[in-house]
Amino acid sequence: MLFVLLLPTLIKDINRSYTDNWLKRQQEKVLKIVSGPGINNYIQNGEGYGSYNALLKEEYVSLDVDSLNENIDTIVNENRLVEGDTIQYRILSHNFKVGKQNYILEIGKSVDTINETATPLQNIALEILLGMILLTILADQVYSTYVLRPLGLIIKTKLIGHKFPHHTPYKKVKTSTTDFEYLDISIHKMIQTIENTFQKEREFISNASHELMTPISILQSKIENMFEEEDIPDETKVRLLEMQKILNRLKSITKTLLLISQIENEQFLKEDSISLSELIHEVYEEISIRLQEKEISCVIDVPAEWQLNHVNKFLLFNLFFNLINNAIKYNKEHGEIKITGHTDNKFFLIAVADTGIGISAERIPHIFNRFKKFTQSLQQDSFGLGLPIVKSIADFHQIRIEVASEPEVGTTFKLIFPVDLITTQS
Amino acid sequence: MNVLIVEDEKALTNELEIFLSNSNYICDVCFDGTSASEKIATNLYDFILIDLGLPDYDGLDLLKEAKKYNPEAACIILTARAEVNDRIKGLDLGADDYLPKPFSLLELQSRMQAIMRRKFGLKQSVVMLGDFIIDLTNRTIAHNNTPIGTITKKEFDLIAYMLLHKNRTLTRSQLSEHIWGSIVNDDYDSNYIDAHIKNIRKKLNTYSAPDWLETVRGLGYRININS
Repeated sequence: MLFVLLLPTLIKDINRSYTDNWLKRQQEKVLKIVSGPGINNYIQNGEGYGSYNALLKEEYVSLDVDSLNENIDTIVNENRLVEGDTIQYRILSHNFKVGKQNYILEIGKSVDTINETATPLQNIALEILLGMILLTILADQVYSTYVLRPLGLIIKTKLIGHKFPHHTPYKKVKTSTTDFEYLDISIHKMIQTIENTFQKEREFISNASHELMTPISILQSKIENMFEEEDIPDETKVRLLEMQKILNRLKSITKTLLLISQIENEQFLKEDSISLSELIHEVYEEISIRLQEKEISCVIDVPAEWQLNHVNKFLLFNLFFNLINNAIKYNKEHGEIKITGHTDNKFFLIAVADTGIGISAERIPHIFNRFKKFTQSLQQDSFGLGLPIVKSIADFHQIRIEVASEPEVGTTFKLIFPVDLITTQS
Repeated sequence: MNVLIVEDEKALTNELEIFLSNSNYICDVCFDGTSASEKIATNLYDFILIDLGLPDYDGLDLLKEAKKYNPEAACIILTARAEVNDRIKGLDLGADDYLPKPFSLLELQSRMQAIMRRKFGLKQSVVMLGDFIIDLTNRTIAHNNTPIGTITKKEFDLIAYMLLHKNRTLTRSQLSEHIWGSIVNDDYDSNYIDAHIKNIRKKLNTYSAPDWLETVRGLGYRININS
């Protein structure tokens, strides 16, 4: 770019030095000629010699007696009046001595002619330059499409396309370059390590939850049996009840973690076909008692003909239960919940919107994290696993979730179903 | 009724035994698969409760043996490994029910009673409660021959569950576990049972006061039947 910008100046420079050299050579020639036949052949009676290309006035040579007694040896641009025309010349001025007389020699070349040669020169240079740029781009293209293709493939399939924590078998990227092979293998090894860590974490959660089930079972049975004993006073029973509540909390957490780990380990089948509207109404029936307390109204507007295929009904039931349960829990008195279904560019969307306390923007990225709880006042009856369940189930079915929320106005959870999950029966 | 409990966790076995004995079952207990296998081959039981996670034996093998030597017995699988495959396999092998740990003893008892009703066709399923007649088979409730249509499925579930465990105080936790047990959700302390009971009372009160439905202060609810 810089080169292109500098090109005119550069060409001008080259041209000038060429012209100057030419002028100097001319000067030498003239001096040789003058020293041969003698200066007096050219200057007679003190009248100077002048020669120029008569018609075009492109160049001229003049020889004259120099009245000034100083050394001149310059090359400058100057105007000269030639037959009534003012023409700018590049002029070499040189004075020399023959005998006792000082003479001055001027050789000029019109600047226009100099520039005339400069323009085509400039064009040629530009063309060569453009050609070179084009060639570089072409070479670059060839390089990146053919030579660097394995690198692109490695990035696309191994890094961007890789979905954690799903294990995928190693597939070699086709390349004959050992460096790329090495990179491919290294990335694969790194991913394997990450996957192993994931796997270990999942196994740990699964095992830990399983192992907790039996002790919880024992405790629960013990408490239940104590309830039946006649000699236990009522105040002890109330305390037993509190223990039962705490145990229930432990049980819920364990069950939830186990469910999430089972989903992540893909231990559920996706073989059910159900009507989405019916499913949501089933959830509504389960949950409607919870609407009463805050007198929340609930509107369900989901097309009856939407049919879910290859899904797990139990899981989707739990997904909607938790979403709607949250919409109730974080709603205000006399609030509203809207469950609507619509299509957007081939995709099927279900939106669950509430008029609740909302989520601030900086918290939204964290709402699907396990055990993250934000609302202090509601701590009493939740432990922050509702949305992680929703997320795991949605991921398992490749359902995308979008959250839009405004504090004190409400939250909308939008479920975007993959195209093949829903069919419409008409 | 004879019950064989096969469970390696002694503390749990102990509680099961206490509970079932109190409910007039005759209990036999094994802590490992080998002795359970012997008992199954020699004795006859009405119920066999099998823990799938035995240290020395595959619980599913034990189930096969039970089906062979004790074909009359109802088998209930108890397991902490709530894996879908185990469940399907167990039910395929002829288990009558499947109860994932941790379970409520009341839930176990109601499952056992349900199995008995299925097996022996015991359809003493119409119960008189004051002026109300509750039909557990057809899931209807009527007042002096007038059917009450306003009672919802959940409300009926609650009444039926309390009726099954009549004269016993059921805590809110126990009731909510029964009616919401299969749903995995964020709440561990639901007071929604109160809302349900309130609705039931309101609906029944338009006919006559359901005196038999007692609120046990601070503890829970109970259906009283004097017989």
